[in-house]
Amino acid sequence: MLRGVGITKRFGGVTALRNVSFEVGAGELVGLIGPNGSGKSTLFGVISGFHPPDDGTVFFDGRHITGARPHTVAQLGIARTFQIVRPFTGMTVVENVRVGALYGRGERRIAVADRHARELVEFVGLEQRADTLARNLTLAEKKRLEIARALSIQPRVLLLDEVFAGLNPTEVRGAIDLIARIRSQFGVTIIMVEHVLKALMETCERIIVLSYGEKIAEGAPSAIAADPHVISVYLGKTYAAR
Amino acid sequence: MRRGALRSFGLPAPDALIGIGVVLALAAVPLAGPGTYLLGFLFTIFMYGALAGSWNIIGGYAGYLSFGHAAFFGLGAYTTALLLFYSGWSPFLTLPIAGALAALFAALVGYPCLRLRGPYFSLVTLILGLAMYSLTLNLPFTQGASGLFLPFLRVDIYTSHVIFYEIMLGLLTIVTAVLRQITRTKMGVGLTAIREDEDAAGTLGVNATRLKLQAFMLSAFLTGLVGGVYSYYKSYLDPSFVFATSISITIALMALFGGRLAWYGPLVGAVVLSIVNEMLTTQAPPQTARIVFGALLIIVIMFLPDGLISIIQRRLPAFVLRRAKQAAARDEIIGNR
Repeated sequence: MLRGVGITKRFGGVTALRNVSFEVGAGELVGLIGPNGSGKSTLFGVISGFHPPDDGTVFFDGRHITGARPHTVAQLGIARTFQIVRPFTGMTVVENVRVGALYGRGERRIAVADRHARELVEFVGLEQRADTLARNLTLAEKKRLEIARALSIQPRVLLLDEVFAGLNPTEVRGAIDLIARIRSQFGVTIIMVEHVLKALMETCERIIVLSYGEKIAEGAPSAIAADPHVISVYLGKTYAAR
Repeated sequence: MRRGALRSFGLPAPDALIGIGVVLALAAVPLAGPGTYLLGFLFTIFMYGALAGSWNIIGGYAGYLSFGHAAFFGLGAYTTALLLFYSGWSPFLTLPIAGALAALFAALVGYPCLRLRGPYFSLVTLILGLAMYSLTLNLPFTQGASGLFLPFLRVDIYTSHVIFYEIMLGLLTIVTAVLRQITRTKMGVGLTAIREDEDAAGTLGVNATRLKLQAFMLSAFLTGLVGGVYSYYKSYLDPSFVFATSISITIALMALFGGRLAWYGPLVGAVVLSIVNEMLTTQAPPQTARIVFGALLIIVIMFLPDGLISIIQRRLPAFVLRRAKQAAARDEIIGNR
């Protein structure tokens, strides 16, 4: 469904991604991990059109989408959330979600878009806050809003960038539940970047590991957890040897 | 929902009725036989209201602060004046041409300029007004700094004042209706999203480049129309006035002062600032007038960043909310019985 071949992305002299290839099938839930600065968010940027790659190609449904602009990628059905939440702070929760319902789906009527938006707001559990300004939400609520907004474009692929970061254990539990419900209800393909490894191990079927812009491992969570290369990247060589 | 619409877009449905009532009342003012001074003063208020409103489409809704709208105003004025001067065409023909040329010009400059964000965009638009001034000053057919004299309407002064009063009122009504309509359609939602966070808007499918250009062109079209009417009204055109940076700044300030988030904000700003300005210039020595005017602007922009209208808006929802809460509490008591 989503495939990247030989993706390289440089920022000035820094190579953020070097020859990374990946493939994600329809309905899969894939985790993307790696230490800070390993290129996870950059890879999301490349897929979603924010950072056109210097080399390599991205295919979506067999279609070549390399270098397409963000709004085009969104209209094709790839949604992303931002690592640092970026709600439209001066809009209410419903107004935030309405934007994607109008522009992502090509809906023209505000009333119809509002109906979609309210359904999604309820789906992510923010119905009590539907008419609150986004700037007055807690971080956990903002993350839910970010997800509702991503869902508003009716995506077929969802790129979630650290939705668990900064949440307390109860909120993480809630977010894991939400992701499970998104999969069962919308059947959407999900790639998630995460630092909360425990959460990732529980939810993902497959994990891709990046380090210094290169893919160093890929496989089932249990295999990844035992991979000496991955352990050395996270904890140092001493631990990998044990 | 009601509250959300109220906050970002303006008063709900009855607003149109009130608006129509006000327009009809104003249209009837000349029947009472006011002097030419009052008619002229109201004409100026209407003109600034229309200009501030047009500016607000790109400057307020989309958040792209243009400081060069005099370029479109002057372009509209000169297009009309030159067509009248050289060909003697009817205003029904020249006015749409004036607007269309301003929109075309906006498309040409907007395509590269709208890629710039924040202060960079503002600076380039500021230069735009200055460039148009120099151009008009030096083109062979504009008669440069000596200006253009246009034929008067063949009616007496008072009747001509009444005619222009009604025309500008009509234009102001159109601009305000467009401004209000935008907030109720998809376009308004997209522009607001661009103002809030252009990148996030992109991930939700908003084609910001295209939408900004459309807004800029619409804004320029309306500004060009106003410029066209102005040149008929004034019957003498001088590049140093119609392309003046002070016009660009004044209309931007009026919109910001009144409140750029709601459709009636720029109108409120234009009315209040025009009246204050008129009172100060007639009642106080010029230096004092400028200082007071400037101080007023600073105070409002510092303490009411969403403009004068945010005072009303803050009061109104609180009041509506209180009523709703009382009603809810009453229902609960009844329910418990």
